Amino acid sequence: MKMQKKSVSEWVKSGDPWVWLNAGAVAISVIMVVGLLLLIAVRGLGHFWPADVMQATYSLPGEKSYTIAAERVESVEVTSAQLREAGVQLPADDDEFLQRTLLKMGNRDVYGADFGWVLDKYLSDIQTPEMLFAAERHEWGNLYGYLMAVKEDGQLVSETSDVTATASALATWVMFEKSIERATAIHDDIKDIEKYDIGKINHALERIRLKQRRYELNGELTPAVEADLAAERAQYDEEYKGLQANLAALYQQINRDSFVVRVMDGTEHEMPVSKIVHAFRPNAMSVMDKLGFYFVKVWDFLSDEPREANTEGGVFPAIFGTVMMVLLMTVLVTPFGVVAAIYLREYAPQGIVTRVIRIAVNNLAGVPSIVYGVFGLGFFIYFLGSGIDQAFFPEALPSPTFGTGGLMWASVTLALLTVPVVIVATEEGLSRIPRNVREGSLALGATKAETLWRVVLPMASPAIMTGVILAVARAAGEVAPLMLVGVVKLAPSLPLDGNYPFIHLDQKFMHLGFHIYDVGFQSPNVEAARPLVYATALLLVIVIALLNLSAVTIRNHLREKYKSLEM
Amino acid sequence: MSNVKTHSIDISAMQRDQQALSIENEKVCLSVKDLHLYYGEKEALKGVNMIIPEKKVTAFIGPSGCGKSTLLRCFNRMNDLVDSCRITGEINLHDNNIYSKGTDVAELRRRVGMVFQKPNPFPKSIYENVAYGLRIQGINKKRLLDETVEWALRSAALWDEVKDRLHESALGMSGGQQQRLVIARTVAVKPEVLLLDEPASALDPISTLKIEELIHELKNEFTIAIVTHNMQQAARVSDYTAFMYMGDLVEFGDTNTLFTNPGKQQTEDYITGRYG
Repeated sequence: MKMQKKSVSEWVKSGDPWVWLNAGAVAISVIMVVGLLLLIAVRGLGHFWPADVMQATYSLPGEKSYTIAAERVESVEVTSAQLREAGVQLPADDDEFLQRTLLKMGNRDVYGADFGWVLDKYLSDIQTPEMLFAAERHEWGNLYGYLMAVKEDGQLVSETSDVTATASALATWVMFEKSIERATAIHDDIKDIEKYDIGKINHALERIRLKQRRYELNGELTPAVEADLAAERAQYDEEYKGLQANLAALYQQINRDSFVVRVMDGTEHEMPVSKIVHAFRPNAMSVMDKLGFYFVKVWDFLSDEPREANTEGGVFPAIFGTVMMVLLMTVLVTPFGVVAAIYLREYAPQGIVTRVIRIAVNNLAGVPSIVYGVFGLGFFIYFLGSGIDQAFFPEALPSPTFGTGGLMWASVTLALLTVPVVIVATEEGLSRIPRNVREGSLALGATKAETLWRVVLPMASPAIMTGVILAVARAAGEVAPLMLVGVVKLAPSLPLDGNYPFIHLDQKFMHLGFHIYDVGFQSPNVEAARPLVYATALLLVIVIALLNLSAVTIRNHLREKYKSLEM
Repeated sequence: MSNVKTHSIDISAMQRDQQALSIENEKVCLSVKDLHLYYGEKEALKGVNMIIPEKKVTAFIGPSGCGKSTLLRCFNRMNDLVDSCRITGEINLHDNNIYSKGTDVAELRRRVGMVFQKPNPFPKSIYENVAYGLRIQGINKKRLLDETVEWALRSAALWDEVKDRLHESALGMSGGQQQRLVIARTVAVKPEVLLLDEPASALDPISTLKIEELIHELKNEFTIAIVTHNMQQAARVSDYTAFMYMGDLVEFGDTNTLFTNPGKQQTEDYITGRYG
């Protein structure tokens, strides 16, 4: 065969090594990206699966044995020496390597901690009892235990003494589920009233207060005006009282039911049903049941507000904040970038000054983002923001309106951060428009501005969109500057709601990127937060991908429409 | 192929028309007086004096780089777009110097339309391409636009080919169609002068013939100045021909005389193919 005779130098000369090198580099990149996505997807999505809850006896040598009920989280192998160093009393002849498992035991209010490590070897009597239930609560994390009784107004309505699936146990469970359903419905009502109705009244009262203060500042606060405002206020107060009464009634109703649970140490606890979000018996669920439950949980994660210092519940405000901020940033950055690029490319005399400006713009893209955050804080918030407050919102002072971080300043800061990308892409696009098309327009009597507006800009729009895509990609993932200019751990309300003026640009907001940081590193409950970090990271990637995808779709549409004239 | 035949008949007719022309008897549309043009230090036009007669076809021939396109682009001030370009002398369009201060360049370009070497339709529909110049002038009445677009497309002998797809993209047309569309677009604003800068050089022979026939039709309504590399084309379509060499206007006269009995040795050398 000829192939075998080929020497190494011939092989190098043929160019094959370079092909291999390039292909290898591409392969490694692809594997890394796919691996990354898979990792966060598996870890993040796995969190919502209602895993079986096992019950077992744990007896470390030399210690009292006790019963636990828990979900397995993860398993690692450790050396016994390491364990001994950590203070675990192991027999001298124990295996060199031991399997150690992290368990989610829940019941933080009872045990003090809801996660714990156990050595698999010393777990015995492992079973998955059908009646063992898990409950997600509004507070204190998950609850694991056996349902013993359901009470209404302190009166027993159903009770059982069995921890196996006997008729009485199942009947009690059915009562429990009904009771939860009722409590959830009331809970939703309460939330609606507190959030929307009372929120609206508070908003209106605040507006009245500001109005009064404005009159006062302008020296126009006559007794007549004051009386008017007082009447208006009284009307809202009246409305508020009505709602308050409603709420009180609802609270009474929601606290009607309670249940008794027996936890693993054998003690029984009575708790109000209103604390439960979901209750389920994972060991009794079929795969289809679990799948249904899984999607409910995923949906909750996407649509709910966070609970318990962001370690439970959903991330909806963060999704909303991220998307809103990126859209606002896009709206701001596109016209600015395009106008700047048009001036630089079409009108500015191409001299040394323009060159310097262009270099400066390109370098702006390389400035670390936290620097933009500092600039945004110093210039936008402290300088512009306080100026705006003094000029337009003096009635709210000393509490700042725009003189503090908020949605608008965050968007403006990110727009500044990404404007170089748009400028560069637009300039590139403008320079690629064939000269003869411009001349064609000019030769028909169009002025330069008309030519730009009617022919050049439409043809450059795919390039502009490319810039916008890059800007969106950069802005959506940016966290550091946002921490200085308006992102918070927990925002009490969304920046878009039913209260005038509907978009609250001055409000602080939540952001997925910051949420990841907060949940991952600022959380009091590391073990509970960890899967949420992955889930939120996955969500952030998906949100950015979706934002980009829509921009790419628009660009491709434009590209098709203004297919270039290369002939 | 039948097209070709009718065209060849037309061309012989064109050539007969060209008998007995005299530049002195023509109405002057554009007159060029001592026109110098510099690209930076390089002098591209070295004092050109000539007239472009009204409603006639004037062809510019000459070897590459002789300045014929540059001269043509002076007529509607397209050279203004070149940064390093400097011009002295004057060009009068009906006695108004187009290089005087206060000339509305956009208005000038509307009156002196230009068709370029490569078809350059806008990435819009056929209709919008033709309507472009009108919309620039602020004409947005649908009926007026419809009428003008149809008239312009008929003038450019394109109507029958595109009347069923007026609202499709112009970029889907063939090169020859695109060039005729560009001519229609230019004609639509009803200019006085049509400048054609090698309009057929990027086209196949059949499209070229169509363009030539079109020029013959259009000269009834427009003053036409055409730059061409192709001497046969100049002979076929033009009434007057200017031969340029190295930025000088060497000879200018009626086409028949220039091609059959050139006055200058340089001209004779060029048209007999000794150089260029």
